[in-house]
Amino acid sequence: MKCTLMASICIAGFMLGACSSEAANSSSGEWEPAKTVELVAPSGAGGGWDTTARMVAKVIDEANLANKSFGVINKPGGGGAIGWADNYRRNDPHNIFVASPPLIFIHLNEQSKYGFKDFTPLANLIADYGAFAVRADAKWDNLQELFDDLKKDPTAATVIGTSTPGSMAHMQFVQFAMEAGVDVKNVRYITEQDGGAITSLLNGSVDVFSTSVSVAVDQARAGKIKILGVTSSDRLQGDFLSDIPTVKEQGYDAEFVNWRGVLGPPNMTDEQIHYYEKLFEKMLATEQFAEIQEQFGWNTMYLDSSEFTEFLEEQENDMDRLLKATGFKKE
Amino acid sequence: MGVFDGLLTGLQVAFSLQGILFVFIGVLLGTIIGMIPGLGPISAIAIMIPITYGMDPAIALLMMAGVYYGSMYGGSTSSILLNAPGVAGTVAASFDGYPMAQQGKAGKALAISAICSFIGGTVGVVLLMVFSPLLSKVAISFGPPEYFALMLLGLLAIASLSDGSVVKAFISATLGFIVVMIGIDAQTGTSRFTFGNINLLDGIDFLVIALGLFAIAEVAFLILFRKAGGLKDAKSIGTLKLTKDEAKEIAGPTTRQSFLGFFLGVLPGAGATISSFIAYITEKKLAKKPEDFGKGSLKGLAGPETANNAATTGAFVPLLSLGIPGSGTTAVMLGAFLVLGIQPGPLLVSEHPDVFWGVIASMYIGNIILLILNLPLIPYLARILLIPRPLLISLVLMFCFLGVYAVSFNIADLYLLLLFGILGYLMRIFAFPAAPFILAFILGGMMEQSLRQSLTISGGDLAIFYESPIALTIFIVSVLFLFVPVLKGIIKKGRNTTNLSA
Repeated sequence: MKCTLMASICIAGFMLGACSSEAANSSSGEWEPAKTVELVAPSGAGGGWDTTARMVAKVIDEANLANKSFGVINKPGGGGAIGWADNYRRNDPHNIFVASPPLIFIHLNEQSKYGFKDFTPLANLIADYGAFAVRADAKWDNLQELFDDLKKDPTAATVIGTSTPGSMAHMQFVQFAMEAGVDVKNVRYITEQDGGAITSLLNGSVDVFSTSVSVAVDQARAGKIKILGVTSSDRLQGDFLSDIPTVKEQGYDAEFVNWRGVLGPPNMTDEQIHYYEKLFEKMLATEQFAEIQEQFGWNTMYLDSSEFTEFLEEQENDMDRLLKATGFKKE
Repeated sequence: MGVFDGLLTGLQVAFSLQGILFVFIGVLLGTIIGMIPGLGPISAIAIMIPITYGMDPAIALLMMAGVYYGSMYGGSTSSILLNAPGVAGTVAASFDGYPMAQQGKAGKALAISAICSFIGGTVGVVLLMVFSPLLSKVAISFGPPEYFALMLLGLLAIASLSDGSVVKAFISATLGFIVVMIGIDAQTGTSRFTFGNINLLDGIDFLVIALGLFAIAEVAFLILFRKAGGLKDAKSIGTLKLTKDEAKEIAGPTTRQSFLGFFLGVLPGAGATISSFIAYITEKKLAKKPEDFGKGSLKGLAGPETANNAATTGAFVPLLSLGIPGSGTTAVMLGAFLVLGIQPGPLLVSEHPDVFWGVIASMYIGNIILLILNLPLIPYLARILLIPRPLLISLVLMFCFLGVYAVSFNIADLYLLLLFGILGYLMRIFAFPAAPFILAFILGGMMEQSLRQSLTISGGDLAIFYESPIALTIFIVSVLFLFVPVLKGIIKKGRNTTNLSA
């Protein structure tokens, strides 16, 4: 999976060389942190960013990968906006943060002044993929049947997700539904943030759950729900996972990656970038982290700083186009 | 494997030396965390996740479960002694608990809290053990229209939370509704009433409101009215012992709310807070002397204290048997399960019986440890009130600010805390009750979301509310709640007149 994804990203141009200052730290070719590195989760305890940060810090410390220790700091608020503003203001290379697609969505939806371009992408680490699930006894057996019904009547099915309209769970569904020719502006979508989404799916209040593979897979394994498609470009690996068809193989040419990587403050030097890139690459290669990934169902998706920057640029352009097409953002 | 065999396996895990030790550590941590406003079970469990990595999953999880229900146990201490609820589930405990402490009955209030928590928790575990597989159906029976009906029922408490003017209670509730609207709206993604300030995007935290309106307002009141006796030191904390009559008095609420609380806890999203408020209003409705409520009624304390602990146990039903987290804390617990390689859900009982039954069996032990731990501590805890008042209120202020800062690490929240402190003080001066405000703040957000979710699903058709049998039943109960007292009054009047004419 990771190979194809990385191959699909063009060979990177050195965008970062342009925006990072070359003057600093030119005396020594290497950079090492001078104090404890703060790995910030711009959210409260629990949840994806926090878990990723805690696991990464734990592996780096336990495997002695860095000369200084890594501490996790929670900086919740504004869906991440407060943590990002804080990182930008402090501008300290010892202060880096975990991010995922909301970094792009929240900026595009104008809820944060800062987007990824205001920071230094250091490395992407892992990826999860989206999944579209329906009740086990639903009349749809594949996405084509679902999309055909929605094409005839956009209100034929109600979709539920954990993020607000115009953000991740909504847009991953919209992206494919639009590809299929559904009038997405009239599709009913509701947000449920307190873990009640799967409840509403099981009791029949709603019909489709737009979520991530790791959330949906256990209910599917227990036979309560059917996963109609996953948003990776190739089938996922694992005894149950490999039986789930991708959206792509059902004829809708798109993919959606819930990437998770680390970014630093603006204007980091090449040496600093290089240090973190290598550190995270080493961290991903450890056995401890592989074990953690297995448990959470995280796929490896390592991108170095320049590849990550290029990837984020593509993502932002795609999502911007999608938000405009669906009327969430003005042209 | 039957329930009985399963429980035996579980007891083996829970009664091992390691099991008892870690349950003890868990509930001890939980109680302490619960007592300090600002430290909640969510952050405690999240921080524990990396530490427990590599431990025996059953042992690690029974410790984390201990932190969770232990915090609900300890949470009422600050509500009762200082009027500073640190967890939403313990707000209702302050309505009668704090007046009791003021009357010199702090010891008794804490004893009732500990005993009722124990009973609620233990009855909850029995129900969890016997009915867990059956109840998983109940847990998913609530969709948006049903939640809307439930929130509406909870909000009826507004009328019964007012001592004097019902109009003032509704004004206070309206303010609560306005404040909960602040932030990004989940159904549209638009920001409301944030005035471009990123600090308001996530809305205002419960703790800011609770500590501002209750604790800071109380402190301000005590200081400004010090001449009227507000700053007199408490002379006694009273006895811990309950008389036979008192035990009889709380027997009813404790029994009822153990069951009601548990069933509300089973519903994802409802949980301890709603069950404690519903417990408070049902007990007030059922009481022979409802006018005692809010002035130190034993029933008014026993009801919510039983319910919130029973509900906390109930929340394990959807978590363990469906893999659905019902609250922020259980969502983090779910993460803790995953790290340890355990996927909670329909397959848990058959794939990891030691974990499933170990956690349940450990709750029996946990509840007993909590009772043994808490009862002897009461005299010492209650002695906090004997600290000279000027010192005590300075400490309360400090803990409020620390607690709020520890949640968000954001200075802006401290200004908000002050602002709500001033608002709470003004409300007290002008005799506006603060309880309806916080009730509207807690339930109003969920009520609005479920209303709009329901209407989006139905395409704007209101029939969705009365076509659901569960929602319809709850609406009927709500109407009865409102009108039965009125009817009773009319009947009574009628009887009196007949008596007179006879």
